[in-house]
Amino acid sequence: MFKLTIVTPERRLLINQEVEEVTVPGFKGELNILSGHAPLITTLGTGVMKWKLKDSELFNKAVISWGYCQVSPEGVNILAGLVELPEEIELAATQEYLSSSEKKVLNTDVSEVEWIELQKEWARARSKIDLMETHLKR
Amino acid sequence: MASLKDIRARIESTKNTQQITKAMKLVSAAKLRKAQNNIVNMRPYALTLRKVIADIAVTNKVTHPLMEKKDQVKSILLVVITSDRGLCGAFNSNINKFSEAYYKENKDKFEKIDFMFIGRRGHDYFMRRDIKPIDYITKLDKDISYELASKVANRVMNDYLDGHYDEVRVVHNEFKSAISQVVVCETILPIDLELTSFNKESEIETGFSVDMIFEPSPESIVKELLEKHFDLQIYRCMSESVAGEHGARMSAMEAASNNARDMINKLTLTYNKLRQEKITTELTEIVSGAEALK
Repeated sequence: MFKLTIVTPERRLLINQEVEEVTVPGFKGELNILSGHAPLITTLGTGVMKWKLKDSELFNKAVISWGYCQVSPEGVNILAGLVELPEEIELAATQEYLSSSEKKVLNTDVSEVEWIELQKEWARARSKIDLMETHLKR
Repeated sequence: MASLKDIRARIESTKNTQQITKAMKLVSAAKLRKAQNNIVNMRPYALTLRKVIADIAVTNKVTHPLMEKKDQVKSILLVVITSDRGLCGAFNSNINKFSEAYYKENKDKFEKIDFMFIGRRGHDYFMRRDIKPIDYITKLDKDISYELASKVANRVMNDYLDGHYDEVRVVHNEFKSAISQVVVCETILPIDLELTSFNKESEIETGFSVDMIFEPSPESIVKELLEKHFDLQIYRCMSESVAGEHGARMSAMEAASNNARDMINKLTLTYNKLRQEKITTELTEIVSGAEALK
């Protein structure tokens, strides 16, 4: 059992909540944190993060895009650029966005900077779709 | 002397104005609460971010171009944050006057002073004085978002890292309370984390160990975090300015509603006096007419 804090510039999602387990999309790939983890600092990519609250059977999930995670003996701090919860995601709109923007890029030239931006947006859209698919099955 | 009808019309129109100012005050109050919430929500993020950067930078002796002070400051960029709309008292004119004075005062000291405007009011003011900005953003009417702030921050940071500027300063209204805003000019680049004061605290508090695992290397983490820190600084300035704007508008509208009320009172008094006078005159006429018939 350890404490989890998730904050973004625009909202406070969790402050010092007791959790059993956290999974985040780390710099080197998916990273699972249980209590007693070695101290660690890593940046986070875009993807689905999961956490299991104390005495809860199910995982809570959210899509995170850019973030940073600090594991210390006291707990886990996650600073995220943007966090989206399943109930805030509109699946149809995301799918629509993904397919239309992919089509658009095929037909037009994009600069390097725009390309990097698009890659980020797509990664976010794909993780949203992933998340929603598993979320709806449940 | 105005006729009774004129005064009645004036009272009506003042009442209408008062209704509008009252409504605007309520709207501003609601928006102010939201803006204040934004500032409060940002705090934990800002604090943790700052602490971690300080921790890593101190324990690993990392430096970054964004943190290095330049010996000689030759060119500066002034980011001026105003609101998009008026009707908020001296909120915008304070900022504009301050920036203009600052510009005139320091014109000779530096080789180059460039402007960047966030908010339409500042942009318009300086356009009339033939000062052209390197960039401006004038559509703030919707809520400002972190995304917008980070776009601005990116632009400024790239210019800074390319060596166009030696210092970046922001002029904005700091939100003190709903009724008072203060114009501040702060240097946001290079970033000054006051590492020295942080150093002792953090050592005692967390016992930050050097054995910490870093993924990726401390240097690149500090780089990323510094960029985020800078984004956040811009976002904070913008949020403060928005909160200040609504606060200023709220008190301006409050004052306007009060003035309208006083005006209505005064007009009503004049109206009644006139009415009584008129009745008296009519009565005298009737009475004297009757007297004459006797």
